[in-house]
Amino acid sequence: MSFLDSLMAGLALVGNVEAFLALGIGVAIGVVGGAIPGMSATMAVALTLPFTFTMTPITGILLLLGVYKGGIFGGSIPAILIKTPGTPASSATVLDGYPMAEKGEAGRALGMALWASCTADLISNLALILFAGWLASFALSFRPPEFFTLILFSLTIIAGVSGNSLLRGALSALLGLLLATVGLDLIYGTNRFTFGDPNLMGGLNFIAVLIGLFAIPEILSMVWNPGAHDGQARSLGKNWVTFADYRKSFKSIVRGSMIGVFLGSIPGIGAAPSAFLSYSEARRKSPDRDNFGKGEVEGVAAAEAGNNGVAGATLIPLLALGVPGDVITAIIVGAFMIHGLQPGPMMFVMNVDIIYGLFIGLIVSSVFLFLVGSVAIRGFRLVADIPRAVLFPAVLILCVYGVYAVNNNLFDVGVMFAMGWVGFMMARYDVPAAPFLIAFILGPLLEDNFRQAMLMSGGSPAILFSSPITWFFWALTGITVAAIIRAGLRAARGETLPGLPAKPVQTSED
Amino acid sequence: MTDKVLQMRLGITALLAAIILLVYGIPNWVSAPSNVPKIVLSPLFWPEVLAWLTGLAGLGLILFSWRDKGVATEDRDPAAPDSGARGRSGDTPRHAYLRLAAMAVLMIVMMWLMPRLGMVWTAMIGFLVTALLMQPRIPISTLVAAIAVPLVLYAFFAHVAGVAIPQGQFVRLP
Amino acid sequence: MKLNAFKTAVACAAALVTGTAALAEYPDRPINMIIPYGAGGATDISARTIAEPLGDAVGQALVMTNVTGAGGATGSVVVQNAAPDGYSMLFARVGSHSVSPAMKATLPYTLDDFRFVAVYEINPVACVVAEGSDIKSMEDLIAKANEGGVSYSSSGVGSMLHLAGAMVLNAFGIENPLEVATHIPQRGGGAAATAVLNGTATFVCTNTSALASFVANKQLRPLMVTTDEPVPGFDAPTAASLGHPELNQLVGWTGLAGPKDLGDDVAAKWGEWMATAVADETFLKSMEERGSVIRLMSPEETGEFIEGQYNTFRALVDKLGMRVEG
Repeated sequence: MSFLDSLMAGLALVGNVEAFLALGIGVAIGVVGGAIPGMSATMAVALTLPFTFTMTPITGILLLLGVYKGGIFGGSIPAILIKTPGTPASSATVLDGYPMAEKGEAGRALGMALWASCTADLISNLALILFAGWLASFALSFRPPEFFTLILFSLTIIAGVSGNSLLRGALSALLGLLLATVGLDLIYGTNRFTFGDPNLMGGLNFIAVLIGLFAIPEILSMVWNPGAHDGQARSLGKNWVTFADYRKSFKSIVRGSMIGVFLGSIPGIGAAPSAFLSYSEARRKSPDRDNFGKGEVEGVAAAEAGNNGVAGATLIPLLALGVPGDVITAIIVGAFMIHGLQPGPMMFVMNVDIIYGLFIGLIVSSVFLFLVGSVAIRGFRLVADIPRAVLFPAVLILCVYGVYAVNNNLFDVGVMFAMGWVGFMMARYDVPAAPFLIAFILGPLLEDNFRQAMLMSGGSPAILFSSPITWFFWALTGITVAAIIRAGLRAARGETLPGLPAKPVQTSED
Repeated sequence: MTDKVLQMRLGITALLAAIILLVYGIPNWVSAPSNVPKIVLSPLFWPEVLAWLTGLAGLGLILFSWRDKGVATEDRDPAAPDSGARGRSGDTPRHAYLRLAAMAVLMIVMMWLMPRLGMVWTAMIGFLVTALLMQPRIPISTLVAAIAVPLVLYAFFAHVAGVAIPQGQFVRLP
Repeated sequence: MKLNAFKTAVACAAALVTGTAALAEYPDRPINMIIPYGAGGATDISARTIAEPLGDAVGQALVMTNVTGAGGATGSVVVQNAAPDGYSMLFARVGSHSVSPAMKATLPYTLDDFRFVAVYEINPVACVVAEGSDIKSMEDLIAKANEGGVSYSSSGVGSMLHLAGAMVLNAFGIENPLEVATHIPQRGGGAAATAVLNGTATFVCTNTSALASFVANKQLRPLMVTTDEPVPGFDAPTAASLGHPELNQLVGWTGLAGPKDLGDDVAAKWGEWMATAVADETFLKSMEERGSVIRLMSPEETGEFIEGQYNTFRALVDKLGMRVEG
């Protein structure tokens, strides 16, 4: 069958009202689900799954994909408005989105998040359609040694989000790495810092840590000092994102989308690291880098492009290899199987009409995301006008419900409270929270892949240098670390910044 | 307190934490099988590396705070409400500490109450106490929100999302 | 005085609420069904498929609750500690309730902490290698293992996949599988299959449902299945035909359990409800499409089956020194 024939066959499958309706409804469910902290895109997809059983395969899968895409964008709404990322993927959006909301620019931040999301989504979908085969072959060359070097490189992001002190950033990251060791050891199954408590054996729940670290300290500092925000305008006003903003951030959006596509096509990384990597790259390259972390619209754009760029690309290993890259795509695999479809190379031969139908649906989904997102922003931005003394207690309650719902475990609520105090103390001592979070995500991956590589080689470190991909990432890591050290030394030689050798790209508070 | 002092405190804390981990924490709280063939494979390896690095970061912080000329950037105590921003009259650091302590007690009480009283009723109490800590008097709108928000969230999570929200032993909601 | 009256009133109200609860016919409110594994996994799909006919049979809403972590232990502990009133039930699985108890000394529960009311699903196990591998049969695999350099993946320590790799090698005459083959644990069953696909590990033995699409797509090659009957879609001999019927013990299963003090009447009711549920046409069809064998065991039979599998596994674990202490 020629390309055109396949395309027509695909069009015939999705060219009906139900398919588009499913896609639109899916996006709407996703945006709302993603906007509720603790609900997250994963849960929204899992909840929608049973409804797809009775639909035709293509309609059902489009519905789920709509939820997935909507969910990833929806997470940015509470991240910007109440400093509580709706999904882990939107934690990088908090860094500049929330300061913007504090300045009364919530509308602009949300608008930019939407524009960046839709652009990244489109790029990601195009990448899926054009490069699926090529990128998929790449995905399977990532074995533990390659993963190890990739993650080692990703950890250098920490330097970019450390604020004005690299050492404090490192300290924060180390704390994250240490807390990530809690639980059962992967290789031997022995206890590490579990104190015999079954709740700790599974490790600390990631979303509980995430929400505890970002949202609770905000509530605590409001209790600590209720007057601090008096007289500060926080309404949305007429502030809306302009085309000039978009053009200014366009480079970062495209870069972020590419990072998302690359990381998304490798199973097991996920959207959060991609968003952070995109953010720190944007900060490094931007002329306005001094404003990053204080409410820079380009920062929001980069973070959102980074996480939405992943959404289309995770379908690359799924469709081309049958390998799910994260929990959400694992659920979508389930939907394929229920309809008797087996994702993998044979699907491109046996069910090519469904593949092309999905491609068409995906392209359309970017448009739906834009429409549904615009409506959602108009509704949700009213949140910014709620008085703080009502909003903050409500956020606290929302976090309690949301964190409980993630794993149906009250213990996680306790973890969230405890992490809230850690986050509060860190904020008081000027220790940045973002490195903690990145380390908490990447730490277990780094350790697991290191030890798996050691198992493969029988303990010989040579395996970590065994393939061109590993050399590439070693080189990248080396160059980045050298740049960080050089920048640090230059800062130390030059005018002494208060305290520490800060990178010149970073600013001091005053 | 200057940045220098803050840095020094952080460094000392990190150094102490690293020493405690290496001497007591890791040997006691991390168990490893006796027959691990390679040291790099041991469950102890990674936590030990992290503890050493934490110690190094702590040393670094102390050293830099020493070398630093101690440029007093802003005289501030991280353990006190920012003096300039305090809006309400008569709000002393003591009050701030008391409010924080109350918040900590509230969290502990909530953890204790949730399995017994149910999440919805506990959430209403939590909402009211938090609001009370943020403003001395509760307007009627806050009171309405304190009752409505937990109920709406319950309706959503229990009936739309199908989550088994803890109900407690006394009054069960449909 | 006034206060005392108030206290009495509260006590009365409380007694009334709990009193009515005790009097009413079980079940009079939604039942919390705990799934100790994550969404999209074999246990989750199985549980959610049976939930529909089971809910109809019970006549009350079943609230499906995933509590994940520590290879199923976190969710199992929730039910272990729950009140034995029949309102908290657990979807028990081979990993959490026969392999883990056999392998882990540190597990916070034992089999005696639960009352099993049913096993309703059996999953055949298949051993597979990558399609590009030069291993074409179990014989090749064993020969290769004796040369050294064979590894197998699993979804974690104490998972069925972990034990299965060692058990299969041992059954085929390898005395010390732990030294001959390297166990490379992954996080989750999907990752375990991927590890064989990308060459991290040589082989994996797991449920056929987790492998079906890879086998159909000619990405993985099956070497053996552990049921008496060949599995459709898997072009591989059965363990019995290779002369190892003892490997038939190595199957996955899903069942239902309550806390250990669950009443006899409640357990009996679940037995009846399960019988109604598994007869459902839609349920049977969708489960069998996924390669499961539907076989309902009575509460007594369930206990014997799980105990038997546990004892086999425990004996092997002790023989090979696989037990996780500390």
